[in-house]
Amino acid sequence: MYIRVKRSKTTYFIRCDPTETVLDIKEKLQVLIDQPVNNQRLILVGTGEVLEDSKTLADHKVENDSVVALTLRKGGLLNSFLSDFYASPVYYWVPLCIFYVADRSLNS
Amino acid sequence: MKKEDMVKLISAEGFEFVIDKDAAMVSQTIYNMLTSPGSFAETQHGEVTFPEISTTILEKICNGKETEFPIEPELTLELMMAANYLHT
Repeated sequence: MYIRVKRSKTTYFIRCDPTETVLDIKEKLQVLIDQPVNNQRLILVGTGEVLEDSKTLADHKVENDSVVALTLRKGGLLNSFLSDFYASPVYYWVPLCIFYVADRSLNS
Repeated sequence: MKKEDMVKLISAEGFEFVIDKDAAMVSQTIYNMLTSPGSFAETQHGEVTFPEISTTILEKICNGKETEFPIEPELTLELMMAANYLHT
């Protein structure tokens, strides 16, 4: 089947299967638009619901010839860096190390 | 799916439709445009502009996989003219 993914003046006709997940679709789009999967959000135009990565197209009742709107995260690079940073353990280790060093210097 | 497997069709109003190359090749006109020898811009970038086909008609054509689909009566003439032009 085909779905139509629209953003501003461009329509992408994506060949897909109802059993594919939304993430699969985003990976296909990634090749075409040079935007990472994390920065993409797909919205089913008929109902306005946001499509979740883990669910399949059938779960969201996306059928042949459905129209899906594509939105992209604003300021993609910085935001994705920040979300990566907060998700990474470094965020927790840096303050821990500072406390450790401060504690050592206070005790000595 | 690779970028090279897709072609971009651009309507009179400048709206872009990105579709599978093999789906577009159903049209003899587009096939000739994309495969003609020599370095034409169409062949190299996979982009074809149709200044005489409106967005609504071009979208219907891109949908054209099904043999039956609803169509508004006022669009039929324009769609048939476009189909004739594209040799589909």
